Amino acid sequence: MEVKATGSQSRHLPNRLGIKGWAWAGRYTIERYLYTLHRLTGLGLLLYITLHLAMNGFRLGGVESWEDLMSVFGMSGFKVGEYLVAVAFIFHALNGGRLMLQHLGYTLGKPKPPVYPYVDSMRRRRPIVWVMLALIVALAIYVLVAFVI
Amino acid sequence: MSETRLKILQYITGIGLFFLVGTHLIVSHLSGGEPTTWESIAERASSSFWLAFYVLVLIFGLYHGLHGLRTIIIESIPRLPAKVVDWTLVTAGIAIFGYAAYIPISAF
Repeated sequence: MEVKATGSQSRHLPNRLGIKGWAWAGRYTIERYLYTLHRLTGLGLLLYITLHLAMNGFRLGGVESWEDLMSVFGMSGFKVGEYLVAVAFIFHALNGGRLMLQHLGYTLGKPKPPVYPYVDSMRRRRPIVWVMLALIVALAIYVLVAFVI
Repeated sequence: MSETRLKILQYITGIGLFFLVGTHLIVSHLSGGEPTTWESIAERASSSFWLAFYVLVLIFGLYHGLHGLRTIIIESIPRLPAKVVDWTLVTAGIAIFGYAAYIPISAF
């Protein structure tokens, strides 16, 4: 039976798994979980920016309104939140750079003949992922030590 | 605009945001001193450099964030017509830009 595509399905392949597919659909590689984390950090940053812009509106209320708001943000809980935003930004930026290079074909490497044991280009280029993750951890520690503690 | 051009704009705004948001985070959130006191923000508000900087961050951030959200919505809820998603996000983007740009412009 022919199924007629509706809405955006007419331009994209149907997503049968939905959001569940972000977490599990068989044996995912680390790159797939980085993709999920990229989306989660992106949504988190979007939510933060929306709140940030709303808070900026307090500036229109003058000096008293602004300083009342800043006294709330001086609490230690907000400092932790600010640090998490910085870490989410570091991850999203570096992983985004990796995805960009990969989408444009720069980090895929040259094609190889399919000789057993088969190793796809993603696994051959795995060191890029490890270097990126090491860089994220190093920058997260640097921001913690230099700006938070 | 074609999907390829939208995606290339996503890349360009992403690269721009890496530098712009990085600078904003260091200057206004993580650096020492008192970057969020009224005096400090009033000083930045009177600078045409910072006004242009904030408007640029806003344009890049809104495009990058809303295009990313569009990708997730279209992929996760395929029954939604893409044009409805597009126009809803464009309207939201223009409204947020108007509100958010008014704040530094009025303080300038």
